[in-house]
This record gives sequence, C-alpha cells and structure tokens, in this order.
Amino acid sequence: MFKAVIEVLSEQVKHWNLIYRMSRFEVKGNYQNHYLGTLWQFLNPIIQIMIYWIVFGIGIRGGSPIEGVPYIIWLLMGLIPWFFISPSMIQGSNSIHQKVSLVSKMNFPVSLLPTIKIVSNSVQFIILMTILMFLLIINGVPVTLQWIQLIYYFICIIAFIFSFSLFSSTISTLVRDYQTFLSSTMRMLLYLSPILWDPEKSNAPEVLTNILKLNPVYYLISGIRDTFLGKGWFFEEPIYMLYFWVFTLILLYFGSKLHVRFRENFMDYL
Amino acid sequence: MDYKVEVKNVYKLYTTQARQSHKLLNFFLNRKKSNNENEKLFAAINDISFKAMEGETIGILGLNGSGKSTLSNLLGQVIQPSKGKITLNGTPSLIAISVGLNNNLSGLENVKLKCMMHGLSPKQIEMVKPDIIEFAELGEYIEQPVKNYSSGMRSRLGFAISVHTDPDILIIDEALSVGDTTFTNKCLEKINEFKEKNKTIFFVSHSASQMKAFCDRIVWMHYGQMKAFGPADEVVKEYNDYIKDIKALTSKEKAKLKNESFKKQYLDASKFTNYNEKKSNVGEKLINLLVLIPLFVLSALVIIGY
Repeated sequence: MFKAVIEVLSEQVKHWNLIYRMSRFEVKGNYQNHYLGTLWQFLNPIIQIMIYWIVFGIGIRGGSPIEGVPYIIWLLMGLIPWFFISPSMIQGSNSIHQKVSLVSKMNFPVSLLPTIKIVSNSVQFIILMTILMFLLIINGVPVTLQWIQLIYYFICIIAFIFSFSLFSSTISTLVRDYQTFLSSTMRMLLYLSPILWDPEKSNAPEVLTNILKLNPVYYLISGIRDTFLGKGWFFEEPIYMLYFWVFTLILLYFGSKLHVRFRENFMDYL
Repeated sequence: MDYKVEVKNVYKLYTTQARQSHKLLNFFLNRKKSNNENEKLFAAINDISFKAMEGETIGILGLNGSGKSTLSNLLGQVIQPSKGKITLNGTPSLIAISVGLNNNLSGLENVKLKCMMHGLSPKQIEMVKPDIIEFAELGEYIEQPVKNYSSGMRSRLGFAISVHTDPDILIIDEALSVGDTTFTNKCLEKINEFKEKNKTIFFVSHSASQMKAFCDRIVWMHYGQMKAFGPADEVVKEYNDYIKDIKALTSKEKAKLKNESFKKQYLDASKFTNYNEKKSNVGEKLINLLVLIPLFVLSALVIIGY
C-alpha cells in the first residue's frame, strides 16, 4: 500500500547530497543575468511588503496596531512564510514539466526536481525569518519558550509543500491547464489565508471562518503567527492539527502513487 | 558472445492529445478500458526486434520521420516502449543535437551541473573537467553563458560531456552533423577509442557513406518498421538502391507512396487494450476510498468548530 511513498521518500534521502548541490545551482541560475544578482531574492519581497503595508496597513486600517503589535510587524509574520509557501508550491508543481527534458537523458530520479525547488527557496525563507525575529525583538515582542515550535511549523511547511508539489507536478505535466489554474488559485489563496487580515477577528460568521480553515496554508500561517505572539502550543488544537497532517499525508500518498505510475512516461507528455 | 542490448518486439504508440487527459481520469477512476475501442494509434515504432553485441557499432538508417530518433530515445531510456521490452546491460548515454544544457549558465557551470546529474562526485568532476574543456575546444567561451553559443558549439559541449561520463552504451543521434569536419573527425576518433574498449555504439544518421565507414551492422528504419538489419555494406547498398528508385518516381507517385506507408502506421487500438496500463484491482480502489474517509470526518469536525 505504501510502496510508492517509501520509494519516493527513500530517493530523497539517498540523493540528499545531490539535492543540496543542485539547489545551489538553481539559486545561481535564477539571477544569472541580473545586475543585482541574488539581491533580488530580498528586493522582490521588500517591494511587495511595502505595497501591502501601504494599502492594508495605512490605507484601510489607518495605521492602527493589531493584537498589540504594529500592523507591519503583524503583516510580516504572515507574509514571510507566504513568500516561501506560495512560490514553492507554484514552482514545485511546474518543476517536472520544466526540467524533465534535461534530466531524462540520464540516470536521475525525477522526484528530486520538486525538492530542489523547495530547498533552493528555503534559503531565502530562513534569512527573512531571522530578520523578522530581530524586528520582533526590537519592537518589544517578548521572546517565549514557545518560539521553539517554529521548528515544528517549519517541518509542517516542508512536509506540506513537498507532498503538494509531488502531487501537482505530475498532474501539471500531464494537463497543462492545471498550472494556469494553480497560479490563479494561489493569488486567491493570499486573501483567503490570515495574511493580510484575520478572519477570526473579523465580522465574518464563524462557519465561514471554519471553512477557510480547511485550507492547509491557513494552519501554517496562523500557527507561525500565534507562535510569535505566544498564543499557545501547537498541540492545544488537536483536531485541527490532525486535519492538517491527514490532508498532507493523503496528498503524499496519492502524489507518490501518481508519480511512480507516470514517471516513466513524462517525456511523452511534453 | 554476449549481447549488450536486446530489443524485443518493441512498439512505441502515440495517442491523440485528447486521450492524454483520459489517462489521468482513468487513473483516478481506476478504469481499465479506453473509451473508444475503435480508436487508431500511431505506431512510431512498429514491432522491432534486434540484438547488439558487445563492442559492436550499429547504424540506424532511414528517411526523415521513419522513427530513427524515437528508436534512439528508446535505447537511451528517455522514453519507454508502449509494448515489448528493451534490455540494456549497462548505462546508456544519448547524445542528440538538443542536449539538455541550461542556457543561463556558462559552459563551465553546465559541465559541472551535467556531471553532477550523471552522479559524479565533486572529486570526479574536478578530474574530468579539464578533459571536457579541452575536448570541446571552446577556448575562453567556456566562461560565457550557453545561450550565446552557436549550434555547433553547443553540440561540441554536449558531445564532450556525454563522452566523458564513461557510458557503456553510446547513442549518437545526428549530433555530429552540426560540427565542422575537424571536430567530426575528432569525435570519430573518440568513437573508435570506445570501440576498442568494447563498448556498444548506436549511430543515427541519414548519411549512408559515414555509416558504411563506421558501422558493423545497420538497422534500416522505414515508416516505423525495420526494413532490413544486416551487415553495413549490404544494407547501405539496398538503401541507396531504394533511394534511387524513389527519386525516379514522379512527385504524384511519391506523395501516394508516402500516404500509403503513413496510413499503415496507424494501428487499431483494440489490439492494444491497456497496452500501457498496469492492472488495477478492486482492493486498491477500496483503499483509495478508505484513505479519504478520515479527511472527510476531520474536515466536518473543523467546520463545526472543534
């Protein structure tokens, strides 16, 4: 039953060194022809943060603080994970279609392609998270023991993005419409996750908030923000936690099966 | 003598674009049969069998669109046969004009990347790097991004990398036709070196003269089928005779012949039901459904507000 899952996961473990080395090339290749080079990894998010802050923080909220912290800080706690989750989901799903012609001529496990995207994106995420922690401390947010669970949420993010990209990279290679559909869905998801606003503190009916919670990105973003604000431990909401993991594992289960089933024929679908 | 490559009753069938999404649907619904039994499949490779021995050079000859490249892709394990089996006793390496080079990276970085993907350790890469650079004869262009390369330079780099990853079975798909004579000669020398090391080489081309000089035996591909397989001299002679005959035809007759041969490449799908699909069983279907139940239960609980 879990043969495919074990196969895909063991490929990742076995070729860990290769993933790491390829990711470094990936980061390098992305910004090869830019004058500012890898600096764009940080300029890009900064520009977006400024826009969201001006529109939602100053424009709509009039600069008032939220949950005891300035809006910009509150925004960053959601937006920085989003800058990792969203591009990784989109690029990870596209990775096989994009790269399979490069690797098919050699003995290279295709299942590494989404992982390489994720690992190369995670560098930016870790650096931005460190900067965020500094900003929080400067702004007087207390550092609590709960910050340790950031590690737990990091594992959650990786597990979810990996399962998701494995699943969608196969579909995206077989049916190209899927990738277009995905990128427009992701744009929508930005507003349906607690990144720019907090559904739980809004006037929306509770059922609607609960339906929004079915989106696994909701779990990740709200979890990270609650950790920073010291609002509780991750195991204090067992049903929601269980839901997230079941969702992720099911993605992994079907993703691996699909991948193993179709990987030999990927080239036929290009 | 031991054979290195065995191709046994291999077919490569292609379906229409619309059916690809069906395949995905079939996977989710665990359906076995294709929707339309009378559907036609295009056979790019139609029932081909041959064996290649160790140290042998096999030529693959044929007109445009006869299935040469498909066959070489099959041999290089880039694509999988729809039916039949290819047994390779060793690792293949395919050299084609469109080698997978990353256009944004420089030649040198591509060398590193490709070697890495071939599974070479950083130490081994450092060892072969000078050889590759020397062989490709790119000079200082090796530091330039590949997108600025000419097609000849690209194929030189591709050839240099593939040759230095030490494959057991080498498949050369018209990669030499873009290089100039000096480079081609150099490649041919290298190929001879491989021959001496008892490696199996497949050589795809439509240049009969180059083939005659190089190959021990030749596979003549004709509209997906193997028209002849035998010693190089004989097949090349037959091929040249055939070309002469074709040339003598009027353009109308040529078109008619082409059309007829083309039609023969379409096969009934009913002969190949599930030609590519593994059998699914009821148990698996049930498991797939069972797996989803906890998700539904939990999402209901989340919506209620637990």
